[in-house]
Amino acid sequence: MPVTSHDLLGGVGKLLVNGSLSDAALQRATEATPNFAILPWVNVVKIGGQSIMDRGRSAVGPVVDEIVANLPRHKMILGTGAGTRARHVYSLAIDLGLPVGVLTVLGTAVAWQNAQMLQYLLAKHGIAFLEPEGFASLPHYLMERGAVICQGMPPYKLWEANPGIGRIPPQRTDTGCFLIAEVFSARKMIYVKDEDGLFTADPKKDPAASHIARISVQELLARDLDDLVVERAVLELMLSARNIKEIQFVNGLKPGQLSAALDGEPVGTIIFNAAAADGRRA
Amino acid sequence: MNLQPGAQHVASRLMGESLIDKAVIAGTEAPVRAILPHLNVIQIGGLSIMDRGQAAVMPLLDEIVANQAAHTQVIGVGPGVRARHILSVGLDLGLPTGALATLAAKSSAQNAYMVSCLLASHGFVYLEAPFIVQLLPAMLAAARGAVFNGIPPYDLWEHPPVLGKIPPHGSDCGSYLVGEVFGARSVILVKDVDGLHTADPKTHPDAELIADVGVAELMGMRLPTLPIEPAVLDLLTRARLVKSVRIVNGLVPGNLTRALAGEPVGTRIHA
Repeated sequence: MPVTSHDLLGGVGKLLVNGSLSDAALQRATEATPNFAILPWVNVVKIGGQSIMDRGRSAVGPVVDEIVANLPRHKMILGTGAGTRARHVYSLAIDLGLPVGVLTVLGTAVAWQNAQMLQYLLAKHGIAFLEPEGFASLPHYLMERGAVICQGMPPYKLWEANPGIGRIPPQRTDTGCFLIAEVFSARKMIYVKDEDGLFTADPKKDPAASHIARISVQELLARDLDDLVVERAVLELMLSARNIKEIQFVNGLKPGQLSAALDGEPVGTIIFNAAAADGRRA
Repeated sequence: MNLQPGAQHVASRLMGESLIDKAVIAGTEAPVRAILPHLNVIQIGGLSIMDRGQAAVMPLLDEIVANQAAHTQVIGVGPGVRARHILSVGLDLGLPTGALATLAAKSSAQNAYMVSCLLASHGFVYLEAPFIVQLLPAMLAAARGAVFNGIPPYDLWEHPPVLGKIPPHGSDCGSYLVGEVFGARSVILVKDVDGLHTADPKTHPDAELIADVGVAELMGMRLPTLPIEPAVLDLLTRARLVKSVRIVNGLVPGNLTRALAGEPVGTRIHA
């Protein structure tokens, strides 16, 4: 016999218990609830796989030094990308006819390897590695040691949704790190790659490409570029994100850029949500 | 292909490529193999079945057991009213969608665990997400069925929805995605309505059942409420292997058996 009286619940609660979760009126009612910021002082920093980790010591060493130098001043969740081994295993798995969810499991292992390597390099500074299941301990490590390391892939595993075109998992380490920043209401989401940010064309292929210092996600999506500095899923999620209103891209091969971004300087490229600026998402 | 100077690469078709480049992505289109093509994924509704207790649950489980010899079944279970309650409290506290998703997933885990206990004597096992990844094929070879948490393990990484804060990927999505990734024979969503209607049959007794409908047509109908998570419709448009789901009324004995036998009961929604 179902219980039908829920006297303790407020207005949204009664709608939730009695209504369909897909009802637009209920969804609008939940929009008006408060936004509590869980870790408003944390910075999420994603270290690129192909762009940084695959380069080995010459690129990773200076990035590690810069992370260590910033430990006293900035608290950081360090997520890692996957890189060339992911490209190999994706190629192989696609050839074997395996589905996108399996590719996600495989790609996660590569980001995990990179996170472990980064953790060995930072271990003597007391920096721990956390699996998604261990994230409840994250505030403690951040307060005590200033940073933690995680692998950047979202923990979707076999539950990764298919892309519209092709077979590559559409939500990879850029997306996973963005969603960490969003759920904790992080102070900053910084992507460390091997370029100065966004260009009008791929600077590796077109020397005439010019740098873009600041662009709205709306304009970037409207340009419908063939290639981008970040996974498209991040741009789409920015439109519905409540907490993260801008993301920043810096060149990890240029010492000082990560520090400048952590200090709030407009280095590299900033992609911002123009709709958030006019208060649509308070 | 463009190789970063200084980077160490493994030779592959995607070596040095941008995985964001549209042409590179389009070049990866290729057929997908079904890993467990004999699998039937059955999603038991939380609010619609579980919260009704034994009057609704036991006849349905008896039907699952009766089909055990003929069909390989894995059972996803939804959360129900306890998830609605913790969403209500969490929203009032101002918690973000990712936190709400993590909390709600525990309610469906409880329901899944209860179902696994009720089916234990028939050899069904309860598998958490990591064990679905590692052990489902072995478990199905050894046991004759498995029960899992219908809500996908997105947890803190759940997407903020376009409108409001309710986690958009619930147990319908999670069960569908398990079916899709394994290339299941069928995905059957067991609810307390006969299927999809032209209006909500609980408030409009004259609403008519829609027996078979395409996703594009259904989206065009702009129905105010659906007996299925809207995100499943979006997933179906990108389906590679499981190109339809069937909604059946689990309060009517025999419906699940008919659906497993491939009969046109309830509503079939297809890509």
